[in-house]
This record gives sequence, structure tokens and C-alpha cells, in this order.
Amino acid sequence: MDGNLEISLDKLPVKRLDAIEENGAERYPPDSSYDEKRVSLIRRIDFAWAVEDDEERERKKKQKKSSKDASLTWQWQSMVENLQLAHQELSVIIDLINTVEANDAVTVAGMTRPKPLPNEVLSDLAVCAATKLQCYRQLGKYFKQSAKGFEEQIAREARFYGALIRLQQNWKVKRQRVAAAASSNEGFTIDLFDNSLYDLAAMCRPSSLSTIRVEHDSAGMLAINLPPNSCRSLHFGFLGVHSADIPKNMSKIKTRGSVEQRPRESEKESVSDDDYVKETHSLLREVHQSIFNDQVFEMLNREAFNQSVGVNVTGIRENYLQLSIGQGNTLFISLVPSNKGDSQDSGDTQNIESAIVPSHSFVTGKKWVFPNRTSCEIYLQQIVHENAFVKEKDKPNLSGTQASAQSGKDEPSLLGHFCLSLAHRIFSSRVLTELENVVCRVPYLHLMTHPTWHSRTSSWTIFMKVPQSILHAESRSPKSDLQNMKNSIKSQFCTKVVVNDDRINVEGEGAPNVVGLFKSSENVCSVNKYECDLADLPVIILLQVASQVICWLHEEALTVGIKTNRDFLCLTFELEQGENVSLVAHVNPGDIKGGISWWLVMEDGFAEDWKLQMDMHDGASDYRKFLGHLTLDVLYSTLMDLVSMCGGSRNH
Amino acid sequence: MNKGTGVGIGPTAAAAAAAAQKQKTMMHRVDTDIASIVDNFTQLVNVARVNDPPVRNSQETFMMEMRAARMVQAADSLLKLVSELKQTAIFSGFASLNDHVEHRTNEFNQQAEKTDRMLARIGDEAAASLKEFESHYYSSAQRTAETE
Repeated sequence: MDGNLEISLDKLPVKRLDAIEENGAERYPPDSSYDEKRVSLIRRIDFAWAVEDDEERERKKKQKKSSKDASLTWQWQSMVENLQLAHQELSVIIDLINTVEANDAVTVAGMTRPKPLPNEVLSDLAVCAATKLQCYRQLGKYFKQSAKGFEEQIAREARFYGALIRLQQNWKVKRQRVAAAASSNEGFTIDLFDNSLYDLAAMCRPSSLSTIRVEHDSAGMLAINLPPNSCRSLHFGFLGVHSADIPKNMSKIKTRGSVEQRPRESEKESVSDDDYVKETHSLLREVHQSIFNDQVFEMLNREAFNQSVGVNVTGIRENYLQLSIGQGNTLFISLVPSNKGDSQDSGDTQNIESAIVPSHSFVTGKKWVFPNRTSCEIYLQQIVHENAFVKEKDKPNLSGTQASAQSGKDEPSLLGHFCLSLAHRIFSSRVLTELENVVCRVPYLHLMTHPTWHSRTSSWTIFMKVPQSILHAESRSPKSDLQNMKNSIKSQFCTKVVVNDDRINVEGEGAPNVVGLFKSSENVCSVNKYECDLADLPVIILLQVASQVICWLHEEALTVGIKTNRDFLCLTFELEQGENVSLVAHVNPGDIKGGISWWLVMEDGFAEDWKLQMDMHDGASDYRKFLGHLTLDVLYSTLMDLVSMCGGSRNH
Repeated sequence: MNKGTGVGIGPTAAAAAAAAQKQKTMMHRVDTDIASIVDNFTQLVNVARVNDPPVRNSQETFMMEMRAARMVQAADSLLKLVSELKQTAIFSGFASLNDHVEHRTNEFNQQAEKTDRMLARIGDEAAASLKEFESHYYSSAQRTAETE
């Protein structure tokens, strides 16, 4: 507004005569109502100044715009100005309306929206279309995101169910029907309990590991989580030889040690699903083995409480059983948690080494061999599996290893059979040691082992073989074919040693018995059978062998036509002068040079009584000569020499 | 999808009725989900028209979001149905499972027999080798020299 002030004059509010009619009536203008007065006042407001100001402002702005550079103009500048102008106009109108309404002079009767211009219509339409387009784009993003999520879910499910199907090929997978399952992948378990147990199902309660829950890892793959130290394995050993504590390298079978499934996050990116399923198979197998070990130990515990042959419990505590198997030997069976696989490789190596090299124990100078621990564990598991886990109709006919699962009065139980087997193994090792000691000292003895494939029976044969040189010499001598045949048969003598549990049976040709004395046959060597204990075994063997040698010499003498008298260990020749010369065998198990030594004894009738009072150890006696530890060749030569001295008694 | 189909012993009446009911339920769920998806998608397409009042556009925006959410929900329901069908296929294929179990059992039995035969052969060979070694040792000149 400029400085000039315009003044408008209003008429005085006096009623002025408007017209006079002919009749003299005066007509005044009608009185305007209050509203009319207000409207007239409003109309008198002059907005020209405002309009002029606006026009001037616009002109100035246009001048400013033209003077400025084109790069400085903002594309929305005009819109902003229009909006400002519109805002200004609206503000004025609103103020006016408020003023009018406040003064209660004028009220707004109504407002009509101005008819939009075409460009305004189009711009509104464009805005709406853009808004809707944006909305659809957001929907598109939402759909894509959802589709991606679904694809990932499908992929996870495919991996999960693929692995589950592969596991189902070997394991019993059960589905737990959860009423309000959040996802369809929950509620799977793997049942590892063998309900086909023949005799054990009624006795054993299901292990806590029998049902394993299948879970998911972060990648959606199935995962099996086990509590630590949940898997246990059987630990076997002999007290005094093996430690009862858990060693670092345990002699147990397959110590993989499943603690927890390794998480997928640790370097598992490169592990394929196949390898993962294989690892899961291995883990389940270990759990299965652990359940089997638990059942075996529980069965052993139950049998330990029943009196049975061979079972002698000397100690028992949680997961530990100690048994005495006689002869001062004690074994223990325990159930220990499987360690993690850190010592697996070394444990396997140790298993191999211990399988090759048996463990030894030195006690008071004597040496005996304990059975291999791993083989004992395997044997224990095998007999339990065959007799308790195999159904009756499928039981194989293994008379050597089968033992009655039911503890009877006479038959041992499984545990008893196991203890007896181990006791037999230890005892047979001692027997073998004694036999080897004997055979090593006598050159013409051969030891042959006969595997019986029976856990409680062992058998050996000691052969006394006639040297080939003697046989060849005999074959060149002018003898009848019948005699040659006889000699070929008697080229070796056998002594059979059979050990049943801890009983030693010796059987072999040897000393003549009472029956043989009455026989007129030349063959007076009969088969003897008798039992003995371990301490007497070397003596018995040596006696048997010595008697066989005497028997052989006797037959050889008969072959050449010399009649001799045979006693137990003595072969007597009758010389031409009527004197008797005896070849006597002396048996001494403690003789390290050889177990059998020979004496030559001259017997004269009138000097016999006098000789009996002489010292038998006097080798320089005129009637007794110590020949030493002679081989069969030397003995044969000696025999021939004696035969030549008996020429008068030869029979052709 | 019938439970027990192919098994030697036919399903009981109750199991057959339950299977039929379950099949009917699943078909109904499938139809419902498919119809929901189609219906919601149709509504989405119909709402594409641009209206003059901006207020109506906002209203339609909210409706579109709701329709889209319903479509996704229906798709998720279908996926769950597929998972359920997979589980049914896994745990109801008794015929194939039994065949596979029998096959594996025979395999393992044969393997056990083979192992037993192998162990027996190993034992025989070990016995023969032991006999040979013993005869060689006791006939050897070394042993003879030791004893002499």
C-alpha cells in the first residue's frame, strides 16, 4: 500500500426523502436490514490495492528471473510461488470469513468448489496413478520376497526329507503327531530299540538312548544332538595286567565317541549332504552299539546274581563287575563312557598292536599269557548276541561257542561259559608253555597244535618220529615186505594231550598195561589214557615218550630177531654168557640238557642184590654206565651194538 | 492317496475310512487355498483402476495389501499341505519300506554268512599254516643244532 490515503465519504445516516407522490405521501427509502448493511459494508472494501500490489510483485519477480541465469532457476520455483500466492489468498479469505462471522454481520451461505482446470484434473490423475503404481510395485516386492522365502523353505524341506528318507532306509523313523505343530518338520524320532530281542526284551528296559529326536540345525538340515558321554562301551581287562581305570587308549571296539553332532556352522559349508547323512548313519550306529553294550552289561549283571558254574563274583559296583576265574586270575567288565574321537586313531592302532602282541605277566619267574583283551570283548559280545539276541529258530549250531542262555544247575550260563573259556585259555597257555619246554629239550619230539574251534578245549600232539636215516637203513636191509610195511607204520609215535577246561588228558602209546602182558602178540604197546595236573604234565610226557622209545627199540630188536624183555622204561638184552644188559631211560623234567637220559645197566644174577644197595648216582659203577641224552640215531646204534652182542639169541 | 495300498493284507475298514476322510479334507484345503489365491488376485487386478478421490485410492491401497497378505497366507498353507503329503508318502509307503528292509536283511544275512565262511577259511588256513610252520620248525636244521 502506498502512502496516499483515500478517503471515502458516506452519506449521513439520515432518512432522506426519496419521492413525494401526488397525493402528498412521502416515500422514504426502505430501511435496510442489518444483514444488508453488513453486505454493503463488505462490498465497499476495496481490494484493488492488494491486487495492484500483487501485480507489481509479479512484475518485479519476472524482472528478477530474466536477470538471473537459467542454471539458477529451480524447476519447482513457479509451483512454490503459486502455492504461496494461493496460500496467501486463502489466508485472506479465511481471515475475512472469520472476521465476518465473529462480527456476526455476515454468515457464509455456501462455498462452491471452483471447477478444476483440465491441467489440474490431469495432474490429480497423474498423482493418483503414480500412487497406485507405487503401491503395486510394493506389492510386487512383497510377492518376490515371499516367493524367495518359500523357495528357501522348500529347499530346506527337500534337504531335510531327503536326508530323512535316506536314514529311513536303515533306521526306524517314527513320526510324532503334534497337535499344534508350528512347522511340518517337527516331531520325528529314530527308534533304536530292538524289540526283536529273543530273551532280553522281557529283562531289559529300554535305554535312554533308544529314542533319538531329530532336530533342525540353522541350515534346515536334520541334526541329531546327543547329551555328552551318553554312549558307553564295554571295557574288559584282567586285574593286575590291565588297569581298571579308563585308560587313554582303551582297548575297546570302535571308540568313535558320539557327544554331539558337530554344528553346521563350523566349516560344514563344503560338506555335502551325502557326507552328512553318512556321518549321521555312523553316529546312529555308535548309539546302537552303545545300547547293545548296555544290554550286554545288564545281562551280565543279572547272570552274576544267579549262581552258575564258573561265575564267582568278587566285586560289584555301578557299571563295574569283577569276577574270579580261578588260578589267581581276576577279570573285570565295566561300562565306560565313550570318549570323543580324539584318541580314536591311536586307539585303533593300539587295538591292532594288542591284537598281535599278547600281554604278558611275570609272576614268580613263571610266564603265562593272558588272552587278548579285544578278542575277549569280541567273544563276549558274540556269545551274548548269538544266544540272547538271535531267535530260537535262527540259532546256528555252534557247539563250540554256544552256551545255554539259561543258567541251569549243570550247564553254565553265558557269563559262566565266558569265564570258563577265559580260564581255559589261560590254563591252556600254561599247558602249551610246559609242552614247549619239554619238546624243546628233546630233539626227536615234534609238537603239533590241533585247533579244536572250541572255546574250552585245546589239543596238541607230541610226535616222536623215527629218523629217516634209520628208516632208509631198514629199507635197504633184506627183509620181507611184510616187515617193511610194519616198520613204515611205526615210524612215529603219538602222544595226544587234550585240555578240557582245566583238566588235562594224556593219551598215547606207551608202557604196557596189564592186558598187554597177557597178549602173545609182539605188539604190546597199547594206548593209555589218564588225567594229570599241570605240575605233573612234563613228567608224564617224558615218561610217555621214554616208554615209546623203549617200545620202538623193542620192536626194532624183534625185527632183527633178538628177543628182548621190555619193562616200563627198561629194555633188557640177554647176552651169550647169560648176563643181562639193560638199557634204562631216566626221566627228569628239571634237566635243562634234555628230559630223558639213558643208562646202561649190566645185571648179573649173583650180584643183583649187592648192586641194589649201591648208590644209583654213581655213574662210574662197573655195572651201570650213564650214556647221556641220546638221540634216536645213537639209540638205534646202541641197540644194534647190543644186538650184535646177543648173536646167540638171534632168531631168523 | 490311499493308505496301505499295495500291502498284501488289505486295510481295515476304519483305516480306509480315515484315509478317505483325510483325502477329502486335503482336497478341500487345496480347493480353499487355490480359490483364495485366485480370488484375491482377481481383486488385486480389479483395483488397478485409478479413481478420482484420493481417499478412495488410499482405501484401495490398504485393501491391496490385505489381499496380498491373504495370497501369501494361502500359498503358505499349500506348502504346508505339500509337506504333509511328503511325510505321508515317507511314512506310509509300507510296501516299499518292507521290501527294502527285507532286501537289506537278506544282504546283511548274506554278508554275515560270507563273513562266517571267510572266518572259517581263515581259521583253516591258519591251522594249516600253523601245522606247516611247526613241522618246518621241528624239522629245521636250526632246531636240530640248538638241541644238539
